[in-house]
Amino acid sequence: MTISRRRLLQAGLLGLAGAAVGTTAACGDDDSPTGGGSGSESSDISLWYWSGGLSDKVVADVPKQFPGITFKPSQIGGAFKDKLVTTISSRQFMPDITGIKGEDIAYFMAQAGQFLDLNELGAGDLKSQYLEWKWKQGSTPDGKLIGFPIDIGPTALFYRADIFKKAGLPSEVADVTAAAGTWDAYFDLGTKLKKALPGTFLVGEAAEVFDMAVNQSTKRYADADKKFIGDQEHIRRAWDLATKAVKLGISFKVQSGKQDANAAMSQGTLPGKLGAAWVALDIKSAAEKTSGKWRVAPMPEGPANQGGSFLAIPKSSKAPKKSFEIIKWLLDVDNQGRGYTDSALFPSAPAAYKLPALTAPDEFFGGQVTIDVFGPAAQKIPVAYESQYDGVLRDPFAAELSNVESKGKDPEAAWNDAVSAAKKAGERVGVS
Amino acid sequence: MGGLLLHAVLIGGTILALFPFYWMVVMATNTNADIYQFPPKFTFGSELATNLRNVFDSIDFFGSMLNTIIVAGTTTGLVLFFDSLAAFAFAKFDFPGRKVLFGVLIGTFFLPVGLAVIPGFVIMVELGWVGSLKALIVPAAANAFGIFFLRQYVHNAVPDSVLDAARLDGAGFFRQYYRVVVPMIRPGLAFLGIYTFIASWNDFIWPLVVLVNPDQVTLQVALQQLNTVHNLDYSRVMTGALLSVIPLILMFLLFARNFVSDLAKGAVRE
Amino acid sequence: MALSRTAVPAAPEARTRSHPHRAPRRRRRALSYWPQYLAISPFYLLFAVFGLAPVLFSFYLAFQRWDGIGESEFAGLDNFKYLIKDDVFWLSLRNTLLIWVMSTVPTLALAMVLAVLLNSVKRFKSFYRMAFFIPNITSVVAISIFFGALFATNYGLVNALLEAIGLGKVAWLQSEWGIKVVIAALTVWQWTGYNAIIYLAGLQTISTDLYEQAKVDGANAVQIFFRITLPLMRPIILFTVVISTVGGLQTFTEPKVLVGDSGGAGQSGLTMVFYFFRQAFSNNDYGYGAAIAMVVLLVVALFTILNWALVQRGQDGRTRR
Repeated sequence: MTISRRRLLQAGLLGLAGAAVGTTAACGDDDSPTGGGSGSESSDISLWYWSGGLSDKVVADVPKQFPGITFKPSQIGGAFKDKLVTTISSRQFMPDITGIKGEDIAYFMAQAGQFLDLNELGAGDLKSQYLEWKWKQGSTPDGKLIGFPIDIGPTALFYRADIFKKAGLPSEVADVTAAAGTWDAYFDLGTKLKKALPGTFLVGEAAEVFDMAVNQSTKRYADADKKFIGDQEHIRRAWDLATKAVKLGISFKVQSGKQDANAAMSQGTLPGKLGAAWVALDIKSAAEKTSGKWRVAPMPEGPANQGGSFLAIPKSSKAPKKSFEIIKWLLDVDNQGRGYTDSALFPSAPAAYKLPALTAPDEFFGGQVTIDVFGPAAQKIPVAYESQYDGVLRDPFAAELSNVESKGKDPEAAWNDAVSAAKKAGERVGVS
Repeated sequence: MGGLLLHAVLIGGTILALFPFYWMVVMATNTNADIYQFPPKFTFGSELATNLRNVFDSIDFFGSMLNTIIVAGTTTGLVLFFDSLAAFAFAKFDFPGRKVLFGVLIGTFFLPVGLAVIPGFVIMVELGWVGSLKALIVPAAANAFGIFFLRQYVHNAVPDSVLDAARLDGAGFFRQYYRVVVPMIRPGLAFLGIYTFIASWNDFIWPLVVLVNPDQVTLQVALQQLNTVHNLDYSRVMTGALLSVIPLILMFLLFARNFVSDLAKGAVRE
Repeated sequence: MALSRTAVPAAPEARTRSHPHRAPRRRRRALSYWPQYLAISPFYLLFAVFGLAPVLFSFYLAFQRWDGIGESEFAGLDNFKYLIKDDVFWLSLRNTLLIWVMSTVPTLALAMVLAVLLNSVKRFKSFYRMAFFIPNITSVVAISIFFGALFATNYGLVNALLEAIGLGKVAWLQSEWGIKVVIAALTVWQWTGYNAIIYLAGLQTISTDLYEQAKVDGANAVQIFFRITLPLMRPIILFTVVISTVGGLQTFTEPKVLVGDSGGAGQSGLTMVFYFFRQAFSNNDYGYGAAIAMVVLLVVALFTILNWALVQRGQDGRTRR
């Protein structure tokens, strides 16, 4: 009937498409490199970043600092990485400078050929000014610097001192530090909180505990040899902690960072959050009306790193030298200090910790000098190898954790399912 | 059914249908913190000016709206032209392969073209249309739904007698088309035009992928910028959403008085 | 594009023979139909380049491993083999089907009821029709964000109302069924009016003589509806069912905006297309994404045919395309 004719039509087009596709599929890094001689650099320089990725005020000052160029910053909303990837494969409209989020750096590291080695532009001279582990995170195994450090994400416990006090919990920073030294002690606080103020929860969701605990270790889901390590002790520990939080009933079961969590923080039913320094920005905008009532204390059992981004120069840039000058300036010690004040970007240059901007009291936190918590945390961050497959391998754990939390699935069964699913997913991408 | 009861039920339905717009205005005139209250605030606030300013500062509202108007307008014009021409051919001429070709047309309904976004993108790269409005207009310039719908319309609304008369006067295919057919299917064109315009205006996945140049985007893509997942500022987002839907509603109210009867004339038999 | 006038052939009788209403006794040579072929060609050309070619490329991609930027390498049937064993995919299929049933059945049923009501009303016709269609005009993203706020556990209007009447808050978007209900509610809100207008158009083409006759024969309203109206509306119902199937099985924006990439509690909002986007874009696994896309195509085709058969069944005799 019609079908056989249609098949014929399709077969013909398949042949056509196959031919067309042969030329397009290999759209990889076989572009001829651009960037001419030192004298012929373009004076149009564009920057792509996301809201909160850099201080808008610092970005706005670039033209003043670099008068000879036309500077075009663009704030890209939505899924930044997706936009960057499609732009790279279209080989057009590439920015001269682009941000790269911490969670994506591993992926782009595998595409290192798409970016310039900043060491060749003089980055090596600055290496000593930045945290070593962060510098390493932005470098390829053979020493090319792809991502210049913007910020790091030392984590801490944000909490509402007034709610804690109301529930009879310790509320001064020193007291909370003492009382929440271990995860179990922290959970105890949660249980007491729930008893004193029913409907109030200390933990947003189990995944919050899980991810923090994983990040407290020096390993993730795959090692540098592409071996699966997601069933080992460090992940298991995080799993047990997370499921314990569910069992104790101290989880609010709201997705971290999403609107219900924000509303709960604003209303006071979620008076605690584990997060990186930049989470302060989230809390400030989610719960503006509660300014002055929050405090920061160290995270139970030590800090982790969450997030923290980089700036990179795609190889298609027609003004690499000038772009690097701009990067250098955007991320120098003083501007990193401004980044902290404006956008809660915790500096990756230790010299910045002494700046007045960072040692100033923060009104939102009742005048607390938050660097007292984040500074030591930054020094103690455990460094781990992050693989580009961590995301894929983490998915099953997150899904099963969600089952435990929302469907009451047995944690042991969920663990087994998560591990086997992660292994299967790993095999697909070459992680054994 | 009692007249009063009928109206009561319909009014109830209307309230359900239109209520979200009222609520969106509430959100657009308050601050984000207000929205997080519980129980929610029912009344209008006075923040509209602030929110509007926020939106205009954050995104290039008017520029992107202009682009959207260009894209939607051009697409609609092309669609009406190509679809009606094809519909006329299918409806009133029995050319060889007509059944098969029409079957293929119906078949294209099923292809989930939305899933081929990345391959489509690659094709645009090869054509050099990435970042340009062409990439939005050309692929949408003729669609199966429109041809299908207008074919019905032509079939029902254009009597053969009139066509035969035109032919006897020596009119060829294209003259029959614009002298006879087009005037008679105006309501159908109106319906399809509105439908296409709205669809083009609200399209966002494909424009989001293909308009890589941040300086030339359509309204829906620009509005995405307001949707930072972490700190969704409802007041801004809803303001943006209202701004983008109000032109459509206005246009709809202006041109769609006869929306249903336009549709009815074409919907007799499958 | 400017079209040239056709040269008018000399013999008028030749034209009258190609009367489309009866099976032509003899067709002229294909070549003389060139205006018609020209007229329909734009669609096929555009479709071939921008519709079919990408899908074929997608098909090709399904047999590759590609991370979006680098080279793609041939992977044979790997993606499909994995798909068959992928529990998450089967979950997404189940989610998609459940959400689709929960959305489409109420939408079409309500639409039919609404259409009958709209048909009976005498005054304010235009007003009602426009009012019910307007939900369809808004962008899906904006409406999804809005419904997210509406059904929010801690600040949503729905929970406020529930509390006001003495029931407790419901964690809509944090529970498996809740997520599906919200998505379904959104779809019903946005598509009922649209389908109602289509049904209304169909109702208006039914001659009132039939109703008069039936009343004379003693039938009541319900009987008239089921014995006369519905059967006559069958083609239109078929049309809306097909459109709803093709569209509904590809639901993606609503859950993505409502519950984010994780898919929500128990990944309940993870539909097939959502899973496709997640694999392709978030996990940079475009080959696997393409394989998922191919299966989605199959599922859509399968269910459309199924639905079509269901609705057509009982239609006396003729099957019309």
